[in-house]
Amino acid sequence: MKILLCTDGSSHTVRGLNLGTRVARTAASSVDILAVVQRDQEKEIRQLAEEVAADLEEAGIPVTIHWRTGRIAEELVRQAQTTPYDLLIMGSRGRRGLVRLLLGSVALQVTGHAPAPVLVIKGRVRDLKRFLVCSSAGPVSEHTIRFAGRLARALEASVTLLHVMSQLPLVEDAVLDDLEASAEELIRRGSREGVHLGQMLDLLVAEGVVTRAVIRHGLVLDEIVAEAQEGQYDLLVTGAHITPGLNARLVDDLSADILLAANRPVLIVRQEQ
Amino acid sequence: MGSQQGRRLKWKKPVLASSGFVLFVLALGLMKEGAGGLAPLLRGRLEITNAADSMGFGWLMAYLVLSGSPVAAAAVALLSADALSPLQAFTMVAGSRLGASLIVLLIGFIYALRGHNHWTALTTGVLSLLLCSSVQLVALPAGLLILSRGWLDNLAIPALEGLAAGINLGLEPLIGPLAAILPDWVLFVAGVGLVTLSFRLFDHALPQMRLERTDLSQVPRLVYRPWVMFLMGLAITLLTMSVSISVGILVPLSTRGYMRRENIIPYILGANISTLADTLIAAALLGDPRAVTVVVTHMVCAAIVSLPVILLAYRSYERAISGALAWITHRRRNFALFLGVILVIPVLLILL
Repeated sequence: MKILLCTDGSSHTVRGLNLGTRVARTAASSVDILAVVQRDQEKEIRQLAEEVAADLEEAGIPVTIHWRTGRIAEELVRQAQTTPYDLLIMGSRGRRGLVRLLLGSVALQVTGHAPAPVLVIKGRVRDLKRFLVCSSAGPVSEHTIRFAGRLARALEASVTLLHVMSQLPLVEDAVLDDLEASAEELIRRGSREGVHLGQMLDLLVAEGVVTRAVIRHGLVLDEIVAEAQEGQYDLLVTGAHITPGLNARLVDDLSADILLAANRPVLIVRQEQ
Repeated sequence: MGSQQGRRLKWKKPVLASSGFVLFVLALGLMKEGAGGLAPLLRGRLEITNAADSMGFGWLMAYLVLSGSPVAAAAVALLSADALSPLQAFTMVAGSRLGASLIVLLIGFIYALRGHNHWTALTTGVLSLLLCSSVQLVALPAGLLILSRGWLDNLAIPALEGLAAGINLGLEPLIGPLAAILPDWVLFVAGVGLVTLSFRLFDHALPQMRLERTDLSQVPRLVYRPWVMFLMGLAITLLTMSVSISVGILVPLSTRGYMRRENIIPYILGANISTLADTLIAAALLGDPRAVTVVVTHMVCAAIVSLPVILLAYRSYERAISGALAWITHRRRNFALFLGVILVIPVLLILL
């Protein structure tokens, strides 16, 4: 797995670099470090990047450092567009409210434009051993699950597959059983979600990952965040559509909402539709 | 044979629509004629003397006829005949909207009682009542303020007013003799009955809308942006003039008959604004600018409340509504309490 780590010397990118280095140590076959040098911190950033590179090289992983100036989001996307990576890892400040409204989210700029999966490090998680993978029961999920499975196997992490049923019946003869069922019941019954969950579990088992499925009922975003908190997961994994045409303007970007709402690392796996 | 059937279908919808319109106009005429004599009954025996009374009255009437639109049309007819004040007509229309959700709730309740033990069947009915009441809670005082200050007074739709004058002249030979032999309340009740029937005819006359071939065919699976579903609810209900028909149009999109709540909440919010389009036409056909003002005020207030919610605070609103929905359908006791509240409030509004 070819991984791109990055830092501009700010505390959150350093935190991202630290956890990213631990991930890269077990999961990477080669690593690039993107060091975006700020005028007043040039010396510190150089020292930090070289220390990380030395650490990884000691573990037998080849490292290349790319020196840049400018804004970290733009440089990161540019680097990812010129070199194919399997995974980008970055720290996030986690701006909220008015500040985010005014300044925007660097993580969103990267996840919205980068051509590879992006692992955004947030919160105080020290290790990635428990993954919560969100399944939309659609075609995007399969790509996401395969990637999450590969990463989980490399990091020896367990995976919980989450599907949220937020549907409400519009007619009296709607299939109500499916709206109230647990994951096991859906799989046993062979409903659309059950079949999908079963297939995804099989994919993860084939990757050699310890796994289970969970169903929650309610609003999609709220239930994902609640499950992540209640289950104390280390990483939230979600797929994202790159939808062409009219649908891109009409459909809500749930991966962006999850990234902004979660208080722990989030891995966003994008796929062309 | 096939072409004969096709020709019959081709004619069926325009005939239904024309019959519906004729009935609608006749019903309005009967209601207006009958409403004039109902003032003593409303103010005397029923004691509908203030805005709260008329709200409770509209609410209970909608329960009785299992629909909001005929009651809203009755409210503007009563205003037009001076049996109600503009403020009272406004609150009666509001009451009719709140009472309109009972039919969805009732269907779900019967299904739940049939032994399926699926309280999920009730959720759409409860949701539509929660959405309507959350909007009315703010729209009601805003509307009363607008009406009492006269900010939207003297609105009129000249084209329909001209048509109204012509229609009233044309109906005179039919309604005049009926009014001479029948008591006012019979005319009024017949009008309410006919207006309900005319809405049924309109429903059958509507062309089948096929959304499954559009980009929105993934509504059951994907979460659409709130403003998209809001505009869709607004536009489709404007065409169908009924929330239940408008929601029903979404059903073919889902083979299993259900929809994400993230999509249905803004859809119903939009639909709640344009569902009064039929009442607006009724008000204009009655030729009374006060009735037009009352209905427009209602639509404006619903928009004033819904738009900031959709654009600025949608997530919090959606969370609050979803939380209330979960609480109500969590236990039988909670649902019984909710049912008690929605049955008692309109009665209390009249009694207090």
